[in-house]
Amino acid sequence: MTRQKWKELLIRALRLYTLLVTLITVLMIVLGNLLDRGRVFSYDAFVSPLVYALIGTVATMITRSDKELSVRSLVSRKIIHLLLIEGAVILIALNADTIPTEKSWVLPGLALGIFAVFVLTHIILYLINKKDAEKLNADLSRYQERQMNGSPIHE
Amino acid sequence: MKLETKKIPESEPEMVEIRYHWITDEIQEIISFVKIRQGQLSATRDGKRFEVPVVDLFYAESVDERLFLYTASDSYEIRMKLYELEDLLKNKSFLRISKSMIVNLMKITSVRPTLNGRFSAVLKNGEEIIISRKYVPALKQVLKGDES
Repeated sequence: MTRQKWKELLIRALRLYTLLVTLITVLMIVLGNLLDRGRVFSYDAFVSPLVYALIGTVATMITRSDKELSVRSLVSRKIIHLLLIEGAVILIALNADTIPTEKSWVLPGLALGIFAVFVLTHIILYLINKKDAEKLNADLSRYQERQMNGSPIHE
Repeated sequence: MKLETKKIPESEPEMVEIRYHWITDEIQEIISFVKIRQGQLSATRDGKRFEVPVVDLFYAESVDERLFLYTASDSYEIRMKLYELEDLLKNKSFLRISKSMIVNLMKITSVRPTLNGRFSAVLKNGEEIIISRKYVPALKQVLKGDES
């Protein structure tokens, strides 16, 4: 992999990580308030979104591909990606004292929450790409006009 | 091969003359180069030779070591490597958008995001081609008019 490719990969990973930390924090606030309102945590609780976001980001790196995937392969990879994250987070939850997994609603709630974050992340990333595409289209129109008018920019 | 150049008065038209025994790959390469400079590409379709105007070209794609040219509705094969064609067309609004493809930027109608976080280019004939992530920064740079 070239240096440029590593750089792009790192930027994408950081963008995803930041987005995941935000969404997981929101998810914890929502789920916590809805399902386990009375619980009090130490400062260590602030580490959780960072760790879960790291799991999500690493899972993306595992399932990423340089090839142009067909819709079918893309959906398969996304499902594997989601299952990896669900598996890893639930495994951590089962071993963590701070998450009351003995209560019947906690694990389904957590799984649903992870799914919601997964879907939201993809929607937000798509919207960012859409914005980028709009900018590219505006630049493309200007470029084509310049070329039609014989500007020397690409000559 | 002997190379000869001759300075002529401005009243006479400039010309390139190639004297050959047989049209070898080397001779064909030189002919192709001159034609590209004149805005044409020598390509074949169904065994027949065609002169394809560069302005009509939508994109070129390398498939299994063979290079194909695509216009609005036809495709041709050209005996050249993709990087050679890319080099010859780089000042004519053509840009590499994937490992195997160069596109005529003047033939793109719009760019849109795909579900896998990449971009695709919709061409003026309705065809859609994928832009690899690796080449997006270069595309942005060229469209902005910054090629440094």
